[in-house]
Amino acid sequence: MRQVARGSSRTRILVRRATPFAAVAAVFAVQALAQAEPVVAFPLYLSIVLLASLQPDRAQSFAVAAVAAVAVVIRPLAANRDASEVASSVLLAAVLLGVALAIGELTRHARAAASATERQLDELTASDRRLRAALESAEVGLGLSELDGKLIQVNERMAALLGRARDEVLGDRLVDFASPADRAGLEEGLAMLQNGDVTRWEAEISQSKGDGSTVPVAMFLARLPNTATGEPVVLVQETDITARRRADALLDCVAAVRQIIVNSSGVDSAMPALLSTLCSYLGWTAAQHWALDADGKSMRVRYAWNGSGARADGFLHASRGIALAQESGVVGRAWQAGTVTAEIDLEHAADYPLLAAAGAAALLSAVALPVVAGGEVGGVIELVSDVRRTPDDDLVTMLATAGVEIGQFISRAETAQALRRSEADHRTMFERSPIGIARISSGGELLEANPALLQMLEHDVDTMRTSAWPDMLRAYDQAASRSQKAPFLAGITDGSSLQVRAATGAGNWLWLQLTVTSIPDSSGVPEHVLVMIEDVTAVRETSDRLSEALEAQRDANANLEKIDRTKSEFLSIVSHEFRTALTGIQGFSELIRDGGLEADEVRAYGGYIFNDADRVNRLISDMLDLDRMESGRMSMRTSEVDINDVLMEAISRAVPGAVTVEFKSDLDPRLPIVAGDRDRLIQVVSNIVNNAVKYSPEGGTVTLSSRADGRYVLISVTDTGIGIPQDEIGHVFERFRRVRSGAAQSIPGTGLGLTIVKQIVEMHGGKIWVESAVGHGSSFHFTIPLAPESTNALQLRHA
Amino acid sequence: MPETDGAGTTSPPSVLVADDNEVAQRLCKRVLEKAGYPVLIAGDGLQAVDIALHQRPAMILMDVAMPGIDGLEAMRRIKAEIPAMPIVIASAHSMSSDRERFLAAGADNVLSKPFRLADLISMVQSLVDAK
Repeated sequence: MRQVARGSSRTRILVRRATPFAAVAAVFAVQALAQAEPVVAFPLYLSIVLLASLQPDRAQSFAVAAVAAVAVVIRPLAANRDASEVASSVLLAAVLLGVALAIGELTRHARAAASATERQLDELTASDRRLRAALESAEVGLGLSELDGKLIQVNERMAALLGRARDEVLGDRLVDFASPADRAGLEEGLAMLQNGDVTRWEAEISQSKGDGSTVPVAMFLARLPNTATGEPVVLVQETDITARRRADALLDCVAAVRQIIVNSSGVDSAMPALLSTLCSYLGWTAAQHWALDADGKSMRVRYAWNGSGARADGFLHASRGIALAQESGVVGRAWQAGTVTAEIDLEHAADYPLLAAAGAAALLSAVALPVVAGGEVGGVIELVSDVRRTPDDDLVTMLATAGVEIGQFISRAETAQALRRSEADHRTMFERSPIGIARISSGGELLEANPALLQMLEHDVDTMRTSAWPDMLRAYDQAASRSQKAPFLAGITDGSSLQVRAATGAGNWLWLQLTVTSIPDSSGVPEHVLVMIEDVTAVRETSDRLSEALEAQRDANANLEKIDRTKSEFLSIVSHEFRTALTGIQGFSELIRDGGLEADEVRAYGGYIFNDADRVNRLISDMLDLDRMESGRMSMRTSEVDINDVLMEAISRAVPGAVTVEFKSDLDPRLPIVAGDRDRLIQVVSNIVNNAVKYSPEGGTVTLSSRADGRYVLISVTDTGIGIPQDEIGHVFERFRRVRSGAAQSIPGTGLGLTIVKQIVEMHGGKIWVESAVGHGSSFHFTIPLAPESTNALQLRHA
Repeated sequence: MPETDGAGTTSPPSVLVADDNEVAQRLCKRVLEKAGYPVLIAGDGLQAVDIALHQRPAMILMDVAMPGIDGLEAMRRIKAEIPAMPIVIASAHSMSSDRERFLAAGADNVLSKPFRLADLISMVQSLVDAK
């Protein structure tokens, strides 16, 4: 209004200011004309003053009042009326002034009050504007509703959250916008607010937008105190939590991935769950795991997950059919770069090898995360979506993290599987090995023995542990000590091998070969010892037999060498004997041939020649005899022989030598008959007798005796000759021994006689030996077995 | 037994025949005496040493296989005293290895038994004449 007043012209102001004065003047004029008393005109004056006083201009109102007062008093004063009339006029004028003053004051106060109110209103209005601006610009949706949730007022943000225009929303209930799942909860919240059970209620709910999409919001409701209208309202606050939800989903997804990794027993069970988790938490249609081939040159799908029904099946099936090269499509690029790689527009990705299949499945986007372990890309997980998606930084980070964790998991699982397989292999080897295997603690205790060992030693595990193994350990240490090797527990041994004897449970003795390998722990201290135990009994026995055979062969070789040497010696001796004999024969026959000899010379030389020729002949005969005997070709004409008869025959045939000896006989008259070759036996006795004679001094005695001795007849020929030196006694029956001996060299003989004698005696099954003392003589004894039933024959003969 | 006339007069040089075989002794004696060399006889090694050292024959015909000490040992002992004494080993050990062995043992020559009488004579002559 004031603004309007300000806008009016100065003229109008002047007119208005002048109007009261004009009114006073008009009243005065009328009064004066009518000669009326001021009292009569007084109400008119009062009205003018009152009206003027209502004007804001206090000076003017006082001026108007003053003018009216003057108009009231001027007539009485001018007419010189009596004092009472003047006084009443003055009184009236004072009333006018007083009214003007009072009204002016009142108006001033009223104006001041109005002005204050107006200022307050202005401030309120400004505040309201600011508040509105603030509300409108707030990031959160704000609004007011009635207690039943009917919206009274909303800000732009709220309207935007609801996806509708502001006036579309007003009057609708909050519950109507909530997703069906959240409606009941919201109703309940509102009911509680309405009842006054609570004054605040909050929840995260999904709201449907006008375009049909949904948005997650955090909703906060507060019941506000009663307003001037008397109705309580509800303050509605909503925040869009889409981003937070997405972040939460990522975190949840990572947590779920870790959960699967922690709880799964192997890659085969974990991978489908991991792919499923990635799809469902992150909202992708399907996923597949591309694993690096053994040659590292291509990747193939190993696991796949289809989160959206039949449509993606064709795509997944097509994927299974290909080997993917590096740099090929989104997967190949992720493999190449080792980083999470996205394909925002799958429909137009020219390098995507599955372009057609992806198109057929209406897949629009893909993201590939490398599965990394130890810095190497071992595979790629590909997520595909039928919605066009641009992965944000958080998703990329999360996928990279998941890729590393899955990679580490696969690596761990493969290692674990390899370990399990290796463990199983070793266990099988241990169980099935044909070689005995024992595991021994670092303290020497048997920890484990395989079936082969138990079977080999015919013990059960307990016996093996308590007795058989400790025995074997002792045997090992003894064998080690003998062969100057380290004892069993002396530290690190690697494949040290020893053979020991061990008894089986059934009491058989085996040769066991123990091969010891100590297994150190990570610090190098022997943790336990592995012993391989092989039954080498057969090997040992074979080798023993072999070495026996070798020994025998060596002996045989030595014998052969000896025989060879003997043969050479024999040849040398024989040729010497022959040449010695031939020296005389050749020399004297040369003399005779050359003539010029006396007749007696010729006779004497002829005798020498004859003797030596005879000697050569005997030599040849003896050698042939001996050869036949030794080769077993000598036949014996066995008959019943009376040894006493043989002895007497030998004496009668004794060759008369250069010296005269006396023969004595000490014959057992009841001597049993023996079975033998009589001529050969005579040869034996004659040979010994002739020897005795040869080595006897003049007047010596040669005694022949016979007697029965158990199943034998014992014959002895004792002389009083030169005797045989002690070191020669053992050799008298060897060929040509005579030739090599000392004092008796001049005595003729072939040197084969006693050798032949020994052969004949042994051919009869008897024995021959000699006793002698140098200077006292020699005794030759030999035995001949009795003829079967010879006792009777003897008795018959002597009866 | 024929004796030399002792203390180194102008009598012909004598030959010592050392052999345990009587037939060989007789043969050598007969042949060498006929050739003009008086012959001394020894029946074993010790005897040969004894005669050689005391009677100083012009040379010795020595058998090997003899009782007591053999011919080689006898030769060693004789040569130890009289290194210049010519000694012929006459042995029925007549393989080539034996001949080497005897020469190595110090024999001046080796005569294998049996021998031709002419060989015996020429061997004795050559050694005696060389003296």
